[in-house]
Amino acid sequence: MTASTISEFAVRTIDVMRSYQMGTETVQALKGISISINRGEYISIMGPSGSGKSTLFNMVGGLDKPSSGKVYIDEVDIAQLDSYELSWMRCHKIGYIFQTFNLIPVMTALENVMMPMIFAGMATADAQEKAAEILKRVELGHRLMNKPTEMSGGQQQRVAIARAFANDPTIILADEPTGNLDLNTGKLIIELLHQLNKERGVTIISATHDHKMLAVSDRILWISDGRVEKIQNREDVKIEVGTIETGGEIL
Amino acid sequence: MSVKANYPGAVRKQIKLPMSKAIEIAYKSIRLRLSRSLLVISAIVLALAFLMSILTTQNVVIGMRQWIAAANQTPAQHGQLLAAQQLEARMKAKGIPMSAEEIQNDRIQTRWLVGLALLVAFVGILNAMLMSVTERFREIGTMKCLGALDGFIVRLFLLESLFQGVVGTTIGVIAGVVVSLAGASLSYGADAWRNFPAATVILAAAGCLTIGIVLTVAGAIYPAWTAARMQPIEAMRVET
Repeated sequence: MTASTISEFAVRTIDVMRSYQMGTETVQALKGISISINRGEYISIMGPSGSGKSTLFNMVGGLDKPSSGKVYIDEVDIAQLDSYELSWMRCHKIGYIFQTFNLIPVMTALENVMMPMIFAGMATADAQEKAAEILKRVELGHRLMNKPTEMSGGQQQRVAIARAFANDPTIILADEPTGNLDLNTGKLIIELLHQLNKERGVTIISATHDHKMLAVSDRILWISDGRVEKIQNREDVKIEVGTIETGGEIL
Repeated sequence: MSVKANYPGAVRKQIKLPMSKAIEIAYKSIRLRLSRSLLVISAIVLALAFLMSILTTQNVVIGMRQWIAAANQTPAQHGQLLAAQQLEARMKAKGIPMSAEEIQNDRIQTRWLVGLALLVAFVGILNAMLMSVTERFREIGTMKCLGALDGFIVRLFLLESLFQGVVGTTIGVIAGVVVSLAGASLSYGADAWRNFPAATVILAAAGCLTIGIVLTVAGAIYPAWTAARMQPIEAMRVET
């Protein structure tokens, strides 16, 4: 593996398939997906529910293993990793953002953000300092000691974003990050992700059906029935979004 | 596999956090969930207090019977014989079997009672622990996403449950002994203490401590181990 290929793709999948056992039936969620995601790219995976979007997202994030095919994260075949290496990768290379935030309810914002740093072996004092710094970046400097239950949805999601950035990952995976937020808060979260994408050069992979996401995405990957329907660049999409928006209440 | 090795940004193995860190996190976790922890602990206390009080009362009665038998065999001291007869009368009045035949029948009943108490402890403790861990499956999945090793998660729950088990069981055993001794003292006064089989009661307490702690830890470790081995996304998806 040469250095040039390493810097080129953040994630690659080759003919990934995934089937689930639903009772006696086998459901084919992914029917062979090959995609390459560039470094520093902001890519959105779009598709209706049941399209295999979430399944693909989990594969790409190393949260689930394919039934067949290969997933490379930073040019490493994740099927080859043992549990220690997989944990290391989840800790250092990938930051996860979830629709339901998934903060630890009993911990403060600061403690939640510190957690991945603690798992990475960072000293508590250093972790505290760094976590506070990131929380300030997401404009929660005044909420360090608040617990998730004392915060609004948008604030909780910003804590989750701060947590995702804790160990300076190269890839951020956002699963429907605006799914539980109102329109304006969702916009702010998307804007924040976009800024961090530009500022830190991280690759952002987002599964969504929020059309606000399209405006900031470099590319959009449309999934339908377990296959890639089309891949669009932002320039091509903007026009389409315009027509969609005038066409009806898609948002 | 050699691909992994030697370029900057290559995958490395996740570090194992030291035990001190696990203890620190487990301690904090209990403190943060204090009310939930106390609920779990009180379930353990109740179960163990029930078991221990039955065992203690049983032993106190056996001790008194032995004392009465000994006093009857050595009738030299008149006062003691009188006290023994009085105690026997009082025990009979309370419906405690005194004749050999009655004692034999009662033994079966006692076994049932101890068995029942064990069952209560078993079901009560396992249920409390399973519930308290299962409601944290999402948290386990999240921790895995953040880079926690399976073994570390199991260790956290081991430490947490060990702490709850030791505290709950100890309080339960002490409460059981105190309650049954207080009851015996109220009923028989000083006679209850004449031939108190301390060694047997201590042995029973040790047994109860072991049972309580083992049940608590097993009840936590089993679901925690199950969740820690799942793919993170599966653990997070589990409905609780």
